[in-house]
Amino acid sequence: MNTFVVANPHKCIGCKACEIACAVAHLPVDINAAAARQTTFLPRINLVRAPRVTMPVQCRQCEDAPCANVCPVNAIAQQENRIVVHSELCIGCKACMVACPFGAMDMAIQEEEQSILQVANDRGAERKKVMVAHKCDLCTGRPGGPACVEVCPAEAFVVVNPQKLIRNMKEKRLASAWGMLSGRR
Amino acid sequence: MSIKLNSFVVADPHKCIGCKVCEVVCAVEHLDRECKTVGTIDAPLLPKLFLVKTPKVTMPIQCRHCEDAPCANVCPVAAISEVDNKILVDEKICVGCKTCMMACPFGAMDLVPRYQDGQVIMQEVLTTETEDGVVQKEAMVANKCDLCVGRVEGPACIQACPAQALELIAPHKEKRKRNVAAALNLMDSVKKFMS
Amino acid sequence: MIEIDQELCTGCRRCNEVCPVDAIEGLQGAPQQINHDKCVNCGQCVQICSVYASAFDEDISPREEKIQERGLLTTVKEPLFAAYYQGQARGAQQMLSDSNVYTMVQCAPAVRMAIGEEFGMLLGSLTPGKLAAALRKLGFDRIYDTNFAADLAIMEEGSELIERVTTNGVLPMFTSCCPAWVKFVEQQYPELIPHLSSCKSPQQMAGAMFKTYGAKVDGVAATKVCSVAVMPCTCKQFEAKRSEMADSGQRDVDLVLTTRELAYLIKAAGIDFTTLREEGFDKPMGTYTGAGNIFGATGGVMEAAVRTGYELITKEAIPDVNLECIRGGEGVRRTSVTVGDLELKLVVVAGLKHVIPLLEAVKAGKADFHFMEVMTCPLGCISGGGQPKILWPGQREHAVTSRKESIYEHDRNLKVRKSHENPEIKKIYKNFLGEPLGHESHHLLHTTYQARR
Repeated sequence: MNTFVVANPHKCIGCKACEIACAVAHLPVDINAAAARQTTFLPRINLVRAPRVTMPVQCRQCEDAPCANVCPVNAIAQQENRIVVHSELCIGCKACMVACPFGAMDMAIQEEEQSILQVANDRGAERKKVMVAHKCDLCTGRPGGPACVEVCPAEAFVVVNPQKLIRNMKEKRLASAWGMLSGRR
Repeated sequence: MSIKLNSFVVADPHKCIGCKVCEVVCAVEHLDRECKTVGTIDAPLLPKLFLVKTPKVTMPIQCRHCEDAPCANVCPVAAISEVDNKILVDEKICVGCKTCMMACPFGAMDLVPRYQDGQVIMQEVLTTETEDGVVQKEAMVANKCDLCVGRVEGPACIQACPAQALELIAPHKEKRKRNVAAALNLMDSVKKFMS
Repeated sequence: MIEIDQELCTGCRRCNEVCPVDAIEGLQGAPQQINHDKCVNCGQCVQICSVYASAFDEDISPREEKIQERGLLTTVKEPLFAAYYQGQARGAQQMLSDSNVYTMVQCAPAVRMAIGEEFGMLLGSLTPGKLAAALRKLGFDRIYDTNFAADLAIMEEGSELIERVTTNGVLPMFTSCCPAWVKFVEQQYPELIPHLSSCKSPQQMAGAMFKTYGAKVDGVAATKVCSVAVMPCTCKQFEAKRSEMADSGQRDVDLVLTTRELAYLIKAAGIDFTTLREEGFDKPMGTYTGAGNIFGATGGVMEAAVRTGYELITKEAIPDVNLECIRGGEGVRRTSVTVGDLELKLVVVAGLKHVIPLLEAVKAGKADFHFMEVMTCPLGCISGGGQPKILWPGQREHAVTSRKESIYEHDRNLKVRKSHENPEIKKIYKNFLGEPLGHESHHLLHTTYQARR
């Protein structure tokens, strides 16, 4: 089973520190260089602010990931404990964006230019920048683990790994059994 | 207008002996074909109810077919719906996101692979990296008690339990039973109180 | 050996309800242990145990480990339950692939009306032809049959009974073909050992004949013969390993498989059992009568013995070869048969725990019968510990009843229904053994017992 990160809506204070931390953690260069180049701000987690709820939403690392199963170029695959986008294969078709029921997938603009495709604009025509699908990747390789979890001032995130999920299930079943023991006659 | 509440199966922990016959027949009744002997089973047993076995309590736990089923209300693809007073998972729609597992307060939802003719069903496109290279990933779906929908004799677990520890509760019927018992109870005590 | 997996057992003690000797010890709700000094290896606990290892439980040792521990083939996909027996299927696979070994196989009567169940056929399906075909496809050199030896056992045991009755020998006589029953007598009632027939069980008689007569018939050295038995029973392995069972100089039986294990081998070899074309058993020791076949049901040994005994003594044909009065279910049945001027009083016991009052009566010198058949399992061998395990608790009775009906159906449809009329039996005495209870018979087909208390 995959591991995923999920926020607790009762703790979130809507500060967006998670979005910033996520974007920074995935920068190809250090933050000062990125600022100088005006690199696009690209978090893979998105804060939802609605009348009844405020909380961030990110990829659920589904076992039968719809994004993966709809990808026409097999660019999305299972790797260890998560679903990854192999961006070198992505053609930017957005099928995965449409498929994801959580809205966790987005298109990220890269610094690289496409080989041929040009975009006509008021400056004439210029080579379009590559756009690839991106989503939460559990910050694999990052020393402190998921950046959002580390930075959140309200400690609102939970890393749900299979062990935790199974233990939670067993605890709930036991509590239910206990309740039946004292309740029913 | 009378509202029909969903029935559900529940065990009596004072009667359960922890024999797992309920799990066995549940799994067997949901296989892709009829299996009468152990030797004919060629896939892991995947029951829809789960025995809790501890020193202080032993009983199986299964879905309560909640009226406002949390599992259904968190499903991002609306794979869970109420059909004929049963909360059912549509395996074809489920994407295995595990949110319903988190949502269920009873732990009654499990995540399982599916088998056909002894082989596990794979996903169409999604692959996974293993030590033997890149292979198709097994499809995983949400799994919970379906009240043996389609089975003529009704829930198999109730039929098979050697301790008769499982019961199908029709909530309003049970409520009326208890109302009557309470009323009868009061007949004597109120008489003695009022006189 | 029967064992209970301590990692899996939840202590429901349903096994104890069916254990005829109270050999399962432990508190309700805690893992149970088998007391091997009491256990008779009948395997009824294995048949009833419903606690299985979940494929996704990470708190228990992995399935591969359990498969190794239990002697199962790695191709087995069925669930693993807490109560189990240690099998010999792997040894059988190795032996079948060894070209230096000449294999002779025998199947108990109860196998042919149950093995089809492991391939999805109706409960109790009668499939002797497919059984023989499957064994041949697996590569056994000679497809013989325990039923032949059952006919042989009737000749020996019938003669022994007549001798005891007419020469004031030890009476009542008890059958000795059920090894769990024999172990029980040796453990709990060793003083009654002289009452046991000195005859080996058909399995052991067949094995002894394989290594001598069989080797001679095929011109093979006895040392090259591997004698294999397929049994509905989890105690036959124990019987085969008994120190006394090697009178020919070689082990009578080298390897015992249960009905379930034979099904594993057939599946592992990719054989589609249900579509096999029927074949016959090999001569000489694959030829059997209806009397030999009914050994698989309670009362079968007794009925076969009477069919032959009646005619040997009165020299007249028995009026009706179907002795319904001897047939039945679990418990104790008493009947008597008039043979000439002798009224033979017979007792049939199915289900070991029911024998105890009778043994007490024998001990107290109050036994009023001549001959008693005892089968440990509730309906005889068809309900044995090694038979296909029925998943639904409520269906077990139906399965065993269906198997019983098939046994008698097979008997009815066989041309020869009395052991003494089996032409190969007549031949084996004429050409090899001499006569029942004769020197060769006594040497190879009879045995002794050990007090185990």
